[in-house]
Amino acid sequence: MLKNARDVRKTRVPFTLTHFDVPLLLSTAALSLLGLAAIFSATRGIDPEEFNRFYLNRQALFLIVGALLLGAVAVVDYRKLRLAAWPIYLISAAVLGLVLTPLGSERNGSQAWFVVGDYQIQPSEMAKVVLIFSLGHFLARCGGVLSLRQFLTALAITAVPVVLIAFQPDLGTALVYAVVSLGMMIVAGAQLRHVAVLAVAGITSLGIVLNSNLIREYQRQRLVSIIDPPRTGIDVFNVEQSQIAIGNGGLTGLGYGQGTQTRSGLVPAQETDFIFTVIGEDLGFVGSAVALAVLGLLIWRTWKTARVAGDLFGCLIATGVFCMILYQSFQAAGMSVGIMPVIGVPMPLLSYGGSSALSVFLAIGLVFNVSLRRDRPLDA
Amino acid sequence: MSSAGETARNSGGQSSGKRLDWRSSSALRLSSLGIVAVGLLAALLVRLWYLQVVTSDELAAEAVGNIIRTVYEPSPRGRIYDTKGRELVGNRVVNVVTVDAFVLRDQLGASGRKKLALDLARQFSRSGVLTKAAALEEEMANPAYGPFDSIPLAYGVSDSFKVFLAERNEEFPGIEVVQRTVRVYPYGSLASHVLGYIDTINSEELEARRDHRKFYSAVDVIGKSGIELSFEEILRGVPGERRIEVNNVGDVVQELDYSPPEPGTDVQLTIDIDLQAVLEEELKRGLLEARERQDEAVEDKFVTFNAPAGVGVILNPQNGDILAMASYPAYDPREFIGGGISEARFRSLIAPEAHAPLHNRAIQGIYSPGSTMKPLTSYAALSTGLIGPNGFLRVEQTTPDLGYHVLGDCTGRCEFTNPDRAPNGDVDLRAAITVSSDVYYYKLAEQFSVRKGFEEDQVQQTARQFGFGKSTGVALPYENPGIVPDSEIKRARHEANPEAFPDPEWRAGDTLNTAIGQGDLAVNPLQLANAFTALANGGTIYLPNIARASHDPVRGEPSNVIGSRISSCVYLPSDISDPIADGMMGVTTLRTNERIGTAQEAFEGFPHETWPVAGKTGTVEVSGGKSDTAVFVGYGPVPRAEYLVAVLLEESGFGGSAAAPVVRRVLEPLARGTLPEAEIVMERLDLADPLLEAPEPAICPGDPGLLRRTR
Repeated sequence: MLKNARDVRKTRVPFTLTHFDVPLLLSTAALSLLGLAAIFSATRGIDPEEFNRFYLNRQALFLIVGALLLGAVAVVDYRKLRLAAWPIYLISAAVLGLVLTPLGSERNGSQAWFVVGDYQIQPSEMAKVVLIFSLGHFLARCGGVLSLRQFLTALAITAVPVVLIAFQPDLGTALVYAVVSLGMMIVAGAQLRHVAVLAVAGITSLGIVLNSNLIREYQRQRLVSIIDPPRTGIDVFNVEQSQIAIGNGGLTGLGYGQGTQTRSGLVPAQETDFIFTVIGEDLGFVGSAVALAVLGLLIWRTWKTARVAGDLFGCLIATGVFCMILYQSFQAAGMSVGIMPVIGVPMPLLSYGGSSALSVFLAIGLVFNVSLRRDRPLDA
Repeated sequence: MSSAGETARNSGGQSSGKRLDWRSSSALRLSSLGIVAVGLLAALLVRLWYLQVVTSDELAAEAVGNIIRTVYEPSPRGRIYDTKGRELVGNRVVNVVTVDAFVLRDQLGASGRKKLALDLARQFSRSGVLTKAAALEEEMANPAYGPFDSIPLAYGVSDSFKVFLAERNEEFPGIEVVQRTVRVYPYGSLASHVLGYIDTINSEELEARRDHRKFYSAVDVIGKSGIELSFEEILRGVPGERRIEVNNVGDVVQELDYSPPEPGTDVQLTIDIDLQAVLEEELKRGLLEARERQDEAVEDKFVTFNAPAGVGVILNPQNGDILAMASYPAYDPREFIGGGISEARFRSLIAPEAHAPLHNRAIQGIYSPGSTMKPLTSYAALSTGLIGPNGFLRVEQTTPDLGYHVLGDCTGRCEFTNPDRAPNGDVDLRAAITVSSDVYYYKLAEQFSVRKGFEEDQVQQTARQFGFGKSTGVALPYENPGIVPDSEIKRARHEANPEAFPDPEWRAGDTLNTAIGQGDLAVNPLQLANAFTALANGGTIYLPNIARASHDPVRGEPSNVIGSRISSCVYLPSDISDPIADGMMGVTTLRTNERIGTAQEAFEGFPHETWPVAGKTGTVEVSGGKSDTAVFVGYGPVPRAEYLVAVLLEESGFGGSAAAPVVRRVLEPLARGTLPEAEIVMERLDLADPLLEAPEPAICPGDPGLLRRTR
């Protein structure tokens, strides 16, 4: 009567660590620390007497805050938080709208930041988790099969933040939303024909967008470069330098902090979107493969959580996080090794950046939340 | 907010029918997502394997190329000194504005480059150096520079301009002000033909110096003429080599190894710059005077001589040292400093109407020697006994000069005349030299052809003996060896071009022409001067020295002293040399009722008693309707002459009236011990180096940003 015994314990104890996911925690911690090390390697500069510790210190702070956030999110039963699903969705949409006003500020051609003191906050990062939560809330109520109406509603829910982000414009982040949302809709029971029509419509509208002035020239070129890789220009330079860096690492790497491409700053955005090149050059194939393995572990544990979640809502949350981490990792690492176009997104847990780090920790906190309560009914 | 239905499904976990609904469908769908995840991660891993294991070596090589740069530090070229140790060519450190080719290529677009060129041109112009943006743009696109080179854009900018640019490195991306050494010419354009000039190496020169121990790169300079070219091997220093690791903005990450530059070896010349200055001044004056004088050969109208060009050489007959060598028109080697000369300017220098200022006429120009050949023809007659106790004439024996001579047993042109058929009366050897009797030498030449036991080409043999027809061996580039004509050469010419040279046969008339230095006989002025040194020193033909020694600048002592070198010896006992010398002394001094030395007037008032001068005039007929070339070769003090001067003035008339005065005015300060210093002559010639005295141009007065930041 093991089952009964467990039931008894569950009913008695409101919170239990029975299903605490140690591999998920360890892989999260390991990637965070690897990222921290890579960021220091990429940003410490060339003067050994006086290394630049600015990025190191900031990222360490983000990790600590992130870890606290993760714990806080994991503690409160996610099902109780469903009440907040629509309010936070509306708030996040409002904030994404606000960042487009003069209150927000522009960097690298995207109106995507709020500047608060020394910190830049990128609301589109946090809003990803909000979308996962709110969309999961909506899709879970559909009971495992999406009608056309539900399918379109889900698209509309996704479209609000995507459109707002497209206005920044930040194509990379908008794509993350689309991929996450699509993944969740599939698991939530989207019908194959709906998805197929969506795909056709997506490709058609992409063609229209490419020939319109809705997006900026550099974005158009980046999209076009997926089909027709350019032979000159700054993007090619980036891709070349990044692949040279990774190849330069060889089998075992040049040693921590010894990557010449990294040290020379030849790879752009090497502490953020191109962080994977730093790992590749310093630690080589062995190091990169280990990093990918740890990432794989994290992704697997997230996927597993989705599989064993106690309810569809929890399953969808884990699915959303799974899609987010998988896609962002593949996009960032893939562009570094030259199998994906240059569409900048941070690599989860590895890239430098507070908003990105906090949103990933928030997301993993939700996964822990679901995972811990996989066979516990919602307290009355 | 959850709907009642869903709550029911969830809470009713045990009645598993509906729960299995979502779980079974989501499990399948999740599995597909899981497969996608595995696929994506596998793709990354495969690609990593490809980059880091399969093609790693190539990419690593590229990475090394990215960050390891070998920077060559130019080493200062050896300096050039005159015989008294005065610096003729030195080095000066100047500020050079350069632009990083990498920044131009990868960080600026076409519009960025255009803007940069425009901004720079504006600032250069404002600082006093008028500069066109298009010229800067052209230089930025110069294919000679490698992708990581620094392209020099402006030389010699002031220190305050350097600060000005450093303050604005964001406005002027890739711009840096570095220090380079450039040539400096304390004596301006004096001796420019001897010194030569340096300019950027061209592709053939570079190709020829692949793997050279002194490593040449496409942006290096190389000697293009004169000493700079002939002594390139020792003047050039060994460039310093610095292998550095740099980052993407060109900052040095670390230095890997370094070998410092070794300066080039200094060269000391035999040139005396004081003499050089006087020679150049007098050469120029002689030509200017000729341009005022009427060309009497042109009848019925007043025409002055063109006198476009001239050449002068001063040798020490006792050792073959070249004391001065001047060619007019001259060029200014300072025009080639830094960045080289503009193409338009270079084209104007080589245009025909410029009369080849880049040519060193002393070795590159060839001329018929004219009557200056007569002492050599005299030697031919004396040394073979044609003139002598048993010969055609005795030394003292006279023969009538009626102004013309008719060849016996002759076909074709048989009458040969003095200029204007002017008779000289009865002349012996000495008088024939003194008054320059053509008829006397026609008679000698005829005898060489017809008399038994003599050779028809005796005059040519003598000419070769005195060094004509082959290079003197002087250490200066592009020497033209000239021509000593003979039957073979004449035939070969005819065969090569029968229309221009219709007559294939060597005829008696050719021998006559050669005997008086006309016809096809052609020598360069250094050869002519060098032949006369043998007459002045008793029979030694030296290899003319231009360099005295080389000095290793590090050790400071002469590392290689070049002594006098004998090229060949001419048998010249006093019974041969004395009559010739007497005749040549007469040229400058003799004035009797019957005859006047051809240069006596020019040497009127010269201190002959203390400083006797022997000499020979020449008035060379030139084909193509040009006026005669005036020639004079003189040396003194006889009998042990220390100075020998040869001067040729193109299209300037008589040797006696045009060339001899130049030689006299060069020799007179030597005879009187009043040779002025070169600086004084330079002032007269207005040759001072404006660069040495240029005040620092003012830049943007009152700019508040100028001193805001120090780097």
